[in-house]
Amino acid sequence: MKYLAAIGIAALAGLLVVLVMGGDPGSALGTFLWSSLGSLNGLSQTLNKTCPLLLGGLAVGLALRAGFFNIGVDGQIYAGAIVATGLALGAGGLPAVLLLPAVLVLGGLGGAALAVVPGVLRARWSVNEIFVTVMLNFVAAFLAEYLTTGPWNDPMAGEAISRLVPEGARLPMISERSGAHGGIVLALAFVLVVWLLLERTTWGFEVRALGSNPRASRVAGVRQARLTVTVFAMSGALAGLAGAVEVSALHQRLILGLTPGYGIMALLIAVLGKSRPPGVLVAALGMATLLVGSDSLQRSVNLPASAALVFQALIVLSVLFAEARRPAARGTA
Amino acid sequence: MTLLLDVEIFRLMLIMAAPLVIAALGELLMERSGVLNVGIEGMMAVAAVVAFLTALRTGAVAAGLGAGMAAGALLASVLVYYAATLRASQLTVGLSLFVLGTGLASLVYRAVIGVTMSTPTVETLRAVPLPGLAGLPVLGPIVFSQNLLVYLAVLLVPAVSLLLFRTTVGLRLRASGENPRALDTVGVSVGALRWGAAVGGGLLIGLAGAYLPLVVTGTYSDGIVGGRGWIALMIVIFGRWSPGWALVGAVLFAYTEALQFKLALVTKAVPPQFLQMLPYLVAIVVLVRVYRGAEPPRALGVPYERESRV
Repeated sequence: MKYLAAIGIAALAGLLVVLVMGGDPGSALGTFLWSSLGSLNGLSQTLNKTCPLLLGGLAVGLALRAGFFNIGVDGQIYAGAIVATGLALGAGGLPAVLLLPAVLVLGGLGGAALAVVPGVLRARWSVNEIFVTVMLNFVAAFLAEYLTTGPWNDPMAGEAISRLVPEGARLPMISERSGAHGGIVLALAFVLVVWLLLERTTWGFEVRALGSNPRASRVAGVRQARLTVTVFAMSGALAGLAGAVEVSALHQRLILGLTPGYGIMALLIAVLGKSRPPGVLVAALGMATLLVGSDSLQRSVNLPASAALVFQALIVLSVLFAEARRPAARGTA
Repeated sequence: MTLLLDVEIFRLMLIMAAPLVIAALGELLMERSGVLNVGIEGMMAVAAVVAFLTALRTGAVAAGLGAGMAAGALLASVLVYYAATLRASQLTVGLSLFVLGTGLASLVYRAVIGVTMSTPTVETLRAVPLPGLAGLPVLGPIVFSQNLLVYLAVLLVPAVSLLLFRTTVGLRLRASGENPRALDTVGVSVGALRWGAAVGGGLLIGLAGAYLPLVVTGTYSDGIVGGRGWIALMIVIFGRWSPGWALVGAVLFAYTEALQFKLALVTKAVPPQFLQMLPYLVAIVVLVRVYRGAEPPRALGVPYERESRV
């Protein structure tokens, strides 16, 4: 119920923006639905967008279950994409059976490596992870800018993008005609993996205990420092994989602006999905629909790309409002 | 070595320190009252665009600054409505406001300006050399030939300090962040204090956001805030919630920023992107020291519920 109300509020905001931009609301809604859900191409677009949002949402959600705020998913996506591109450009001669898995795995490790920094600082000196992850977003984005304009730049393109990665590093498509790539299969698999890890393993139990009652978990003998670092590494690996998939399946190269704020959208997705993998899946699908639908309006009624971010944030604020109004739900983040 | 002590760097340092210290003072007011505002980056972004557009349309920098402050106060009101009135999680709401502000700033700019070939610009706030003092060697060009907002930023530090530590309102504000129940017991409304602190803090945060286009760049672009909101948040912790130390922290960060600008001008050996990383990397290194023994206000981020058990 509250979700419907929240979507209603976002829709009203959308209507307002379309009117301000001088568009026709009726046809805008038609375009929105047709381009995101109604057509095969649109559906493929939505699934392609779901991939980074879902992996990012899982990354934020996993850290949040342990009580940590990973605001650095954007940076970790870049880190994964950078490592994946570096490997693909450097070892392009390898056969696809070796190169593609290596690109994806190393991409994940790249994201994990960046996320381990805030993890170690948090575990060792109780440095707040929010600041470190935010600062590393800037560092990673500048590194991507350097690589795409400098050593890896495609001289033919005239913009901040790298050379194309070789065929062997590209993730297969689900449907060549509609443009849906295989990333969504990977992302869905990781919904299951993360769910199993959290709900069916000792590690997952310790993660949840750390998040809900850190003192009890310490008394129970959990090695919190090590657990903290592994949680950050896992979270970063999910984001890094998202970056590697964007390179391998979507752009076939590293581009500046690879993530148009997927990391901060992932924050909203984790909040909406209550950090549980199934909830995150539903929220990611919804946000991806919103993103693709708004993108299509960008062309027809000049709706700016940033509008999607505003609608998404409005949905989350409406849900938080509805939850806070019901005293029983207080205190759940 | 002469480069590190260059007069121009110190001048630039004070220009870049002003928005940091103004934003940090705004955040400090809110946090002292018990409201944690992690949406500051988004609030500054919205204030920046509103200030820029107002100045562009009216031609008056002052109108732009006022509009930016109003925008900051408005967003801070949303936060405190959730935090004090609805008693929602301040971290979650703050982060959502950060995202909302980031998107809204960009959306408003596109909606008003659209896509243009040339970037619209406004005239930036001019420097006002203080008569007599501006002629001093070294200090003259560095300290006494700045724009009015730099002077204001420096004056705000003792002003906020006096307010917090020498007035009844300040005492109550600190109590609201340390022990709201005690305050409630003597019949002072915790909610009203937190609302007041948030609106006041929001005005300052808005001013800091407005400063960026109206003093530094003269234009608006997405990402104009560039993490300064987060750094202001960090400065509050670095300064242990004291205005004077917040100034020190702001000057420290502004120095690395100014140094990076200057280095980019004189050296071609290092790619500019690596220089641009510098302030953020310094921030991370400083953070490690910052957290040693930091003690936030005890009720920071905790909604006050009159009916809850102690």
